[in-house]
Amino acid sequence: MSVSGATAEPGPLISAPLISARGLTKQFAGFTAVDGIDFEVARGEAFGFLGPNGAGKSSTMRMVSCVAPLTSGSLQILGMDPVQDGPRIRARLGVVPQQDTLDTELTVRENLYIYGRYFGMSRRVLRPKVDELLDFAQLTERADSKVEPLSGGMKRRLTIARSLINDPDILMLDEPTTGLDPQARHVLWDRLYRLKQDGVTLVLTTHYMDEAEQLCDRLVVMDGGRIVAEGSPLSLIAEHSTREVVELRFAPGSNGAAAARLGAAIAAGERVDELPDRVLLYVSDGEQALSRAHELGLSPVSSLVRRSTLEDVFLRLTGRSLVD
Amino acid sequence: MPAPAVPRPRGALLQLLEYQLLVARAFWRSFIIVGVLSPLLYVLALGIGLGKVVNRHGTDTLGVPYLQFVAPAFLVAAAIQVAANESTFPVMAGFKWMRTFHGMAATSLTPRQICDGQLAWCALRVLSNALLYLLIVVALGGAHRWEFVWTVPAATLTAMAFAAPVTALAAIVESEGNTFNMLFRFVVVPMFLFSGTFYPISTLPRWGQLLAYVTPQWHGTELARGAALGGLSPAAAIGHVAYLLVWLVVGVGLARWRFRVRLTK
Repeated sequence: MSVSGATAEPGPLISAPLISARGLTKQFAGFTAVDGIDFEVARGEAFGFLGPNGAGKSSTMRMVSCVAPLTSGSLQILGMDPVQDGPRIRARLGVVPQQDTLDTELTVRENLYIYGRYFGMSRRVLRPKVDELLDFAQLTERADSKVEPLSGGMKRRLTIARSLINDPDILMLDEPTTGLDPQARHVLWDRLYRLKQDGVTLVLTTHYMDEAEQLCDRLVVMDGGRIVAEGSPLSLIAEHSTREVVELRFAPGSNGAAAARLGAAIAAGERVDELPDRVLLYVSDGEQALSRAHELGLSPVSSLVRRSTLEDVFLRLTGRSLVD
Repeated sequence: MPAPAVPRPRGALLQLLEYQLLVARAFWRSFIIVGVLSPLLYVLALGIGLGKVVNRHGTDTLGVPYLQFVAPAFLVAAAIQVAANESTFPVMAGFKWMRTFHGMAATSLTPRQICDGQLAWCALRVLSNALLYLLIVVALGGAHRWEFVWTVPAATLTAMAFAAPVTALAAIVESEGNTFNMLFRFVVVPMFLFSGTFYPISTLPRWGQLLAYVTPQWHGTELARGAALGGLSPAAAIGHVAYLLVWLVVGVGLARWRFRVRLTK
């Protein structure tokens, strides 16, 4: 467990996890969104919830953000109870919600300033803080522009900058890059990576594999309100997938037959998965498997050999792909 | 980098009012223009223009020139109009369009403080508008005794008694449907027309009078008119204030409840 920056928190919290959930459950009228999950997040860690839409990630985030109450189970954040100490906990959290909550009628600078005021911060403290965050978010030149005309990436960076106004102990990011173009995502990842280097504890949800692999030290895979696997990105891949994957596309309608023939030709511990549009071979040596497929007389329309990713882990664990 | 925890905010109300003032900076010109034009037009067209016709036929039943009869009622009606505007679309924007209330709820602010901040801002808008109205009425000769100033708190109380339950309603509305249009067409406007603004409700049929008694606007109009013209017994005044306070207290309770439900979903 990392204890970087622990000087801010004397006493027993140094070694205690920042977030600790036991049997955490969230029900809405007749529907269980989060179904009794356990997890802990240590100081300085980047912890991820990976899963498809509807897996219960956002409901979990809203409970940990002390916005929504839990239905049952126990939750401790920064050593406090969200039911009793909601405002005190929130004072030390930074929250980047899935949907922006910026005030589009105010300027970039005003959005940062007023958010700090909600935390009871004084104007004197806020003035340099706002400038620092404008710089961090690469928005200094747009400081006095209204928020409305900003690009999606800029708004997202502003939301992240705003969530840092109170120097939070934990930064909660709910799908931070969903809906952004690749370039904007990379800029954002760079900013988040810097925060991580600075020792900020990150908790994020995503349904992007690459995002989880880039940012998370440890993650849980969620499906249907439950945690189905937990570990580092690499250990999850090692545990639930093979080293390499061969993707084969056959003519429409012939995937099934090809998958059956391939199944008879692979080694123990290797696997064939048939998807609607392609056949996946989970193998230790992709090139070798591909040449075996050709030896069987199969002629795929296209083929690709690649490393296993978290997407494969998810597919293996749930039988479904992440972005449907 | 983890820094010392931010202290729990005191004076959340002041911070939320500061937010509203920040937003209002872009709109203050239109606030002033509406705040000045509305009384000018109403008082000139109806108080003075229509008033000429009314006065020519004699105002024995009213006891005073028509302008003096309607001016306090207009002041109340304008306050209700401002309150209705402030507690409908801006509240919906906070929940749905800009989601600013959700942003506030992620800070150390509580749903109740966010609700109270919204209502306090509405009261401030109503009060400042009523003061502006007062100045214009005085300038146009609609007030003839100093007690007329009591129309301002009367109008503010009345408008907030109406705005609080409307704020609760606005916190419930999920879709951009017709709820607010219906509210304006079938509540705000009829209330303006039939709650004794233009004529005493004694001219209404019995059922119309009963309906008027239910509205906050009639009670506010009676208070304001009593302040402007005299002739309102202390017992009646206390009754009107008590009735309006019931609306206010119940409305604030409902609004806080709906803010909590909406923000902690």
